[in-house]
Amino acid sequence: MDKQNYELIVKGFYDFLEEGKVMGRKCTRCGEVGFPPFIACNECGCPKTEWAEISGEATVTGLTMPGIMQNFPDVAEAFGPYCFASVKLKEGSEINAIVLGVTASDRDGLRQRLPVPVKPRIVQRDGYKTVFWELAE
Amino acid sequence: MASKVKLKPYSRGVSIIGVGCTPFMFTLDNEKTNGLCEGELFGYAALEAMEDAGLEPSDVEFYYHGQALPSLQSDYITQNMQVANWFGMKGKASVAHSEACCTGYVALEQAVTAVASGAYDIVLSGACDMSDARAVRDKPAHIRARFTTEEFIGGAIPMVYSRDYTRGFLASNAMVADGWIMDYARENNLSDQQIDDALNSMAVNCRRASSLNPLALMRTPFEQEAAEAGFDNVMDYMRSPYNPFLSQYLRVTGFEQKCDGAAAVIVCPTEIAHRYSDHPIEVLGIGHACLEGIWSYLERDATLEAYRQVKELTGLTGEDMDLFLANDFFIASHLVAAEACEYLPKGHGWEYAIEGRTAFDGDKPINTNGGRCHFGHAHGTSGLGDIYEAVKQMRGLMGPTQLAKTPKKAMLRGFGGGQNVICAILNGEN
Repeated sequence: MDKQNYELIVKGFYDFLEEGKVMGRKCTRCGEVGFPPFIACNECGCPKTEWAEISGEATVTGLTMPGIMQNFPDVAEAFGPYCFASVKLKEGSEINAIVLGVTASDRDGLRQRLPVPVKPRIVQRDGYKTVFWELAE
Repeated sequence: MASKVKLKPYSRGVSIIGVGCTPFMFTLDNEKTNGLCEGELFGYAALEAMEDAGLEPSDVEFYYHGQALPSLQSDYITQNMQVANWFGMKGKASVAHSEACCTGYVALEQAVTAVASGAYDIVLSGACDMSDARAVRDKPAHIRARFTTEEFIGGAIPMVYSRDYTRGFLASNAMVADGWIMDYARENNLSDQQIDDALNSMAVNCRRASSLNPLALMRTPFEQEAAEAGFDNVMDYMRSPYNPFLSQYLRVTGFEQKCDGAAAVIVCPTEIAHRYSDHPIEVLGIGHACLEGIWSYLERDATLEAYRQVKELTGLTGEDMDLFLANDFFIASHLVAAEACEYLPKGHGWEYAIEGRTAFDGDKPINTNGGRCHFGHAHGTSGLGDIYEAVKQMRGLMGPTQLAKTPKKAMLRGFGGGQNVICAILNGEN
């Protein structure tokens, strides 16, 4: 470990988004691509990983709609209807995420068709980009 | 990652010999309590626990201090020190810890580990959160202001999620609230109406218990509220706009009631516990797992892992328990956790709730103090409040809410919005 040159992984993730790339970290031992990226592998515990672009293939395994307690008017205003979802990446990670393009009337139909394919969408927020997801169909 | 954690038996057995718990309350709303501060609340709970164990402050060798929101609510960052002078602990070693709403369960784990290691014989572990009456900077501790729901939801809740990616992904808190019950509904092919009826029934059951508990915050049974609102049937009231939805599944009666409170427990080696208590409660094991807020179904997966650990250690399952307590700041949590820990039969817990079987007078009692939505939620304190309830139930001292069959074994499933999950087993058989 080079103490004079620590790798800036969080900054690197956001810098890659500016380039249009959604990146994870591939374990140098087990090959698992973890998303989002961290220093060590959360699958096998190996301390070494390296940058790897994710495939973008993922599915929604569960979803819930915004309510009084949980909602982001700025997201709805900028990107239209959305839901909160569990998104499982082809690479293995399963994360809590925003899925765009889902209305309340879509919910029951989508739930009956789970898992539903989605793809990442890089979105501009206030001063940085982040990753939401959208239906791939 | 598949966990490789295998709990080892304690180096020596550890038992609870004293418990204390203040009322869970809105201190600002009562002239007799308006002005209470952290040192006093923690001190009264700690001194009650000592009295319960027949001890005095000089007997306590070390203490832990738990608080979920020390900086936001108390304007403190060394909260263990800020209470030390209030219960005779001047000069004694102490440690502060903070694991959000799981703090009160971690409090037990820390104390047990300290005694099991052999380092100390008498350890107190307490917690205090004033989640309704926050400190006012630059004013003495008795001058307090309302910690509003807006401050809590907008200021405190985001702080339990990591700023690397989780907060920016925006979905964690919504999925923590609804994710597991959503998955439960899908797995068991249950309609929204069936889930709603189960959660409303759980609220009615819990409120019936809290209305009989003098330490509880919510003291009016829903049957009375329904009648006063003109409803003949309590479930019609629970399904009405009097009980609005806050999220996809959770209505207002299924959401925590944040409030002020403190609680404490004292533990010692099991081999000397009878010197201090006629009825010590042994801590058989404590499983513990954590998943950060970015991961889907984190409460489910961490509960399964914590339960696996303690089941493997003790050889006991949820079926062996007589009482189950679960931190349920979203009330759905106590149903799904009870199934995950095999206390309720898989896929049928929702029916038990609707049939009243999980009430304090049912055959599979859960959250007999009313839980976070009805006993109240003094955040980091609540786990110790549950331990107080379990110990008193095992001693047969809970009065109107005492279980018909005094419980011999109890399981506590702690969960914090900071994503710690605890699964502890207590043994009341002597």
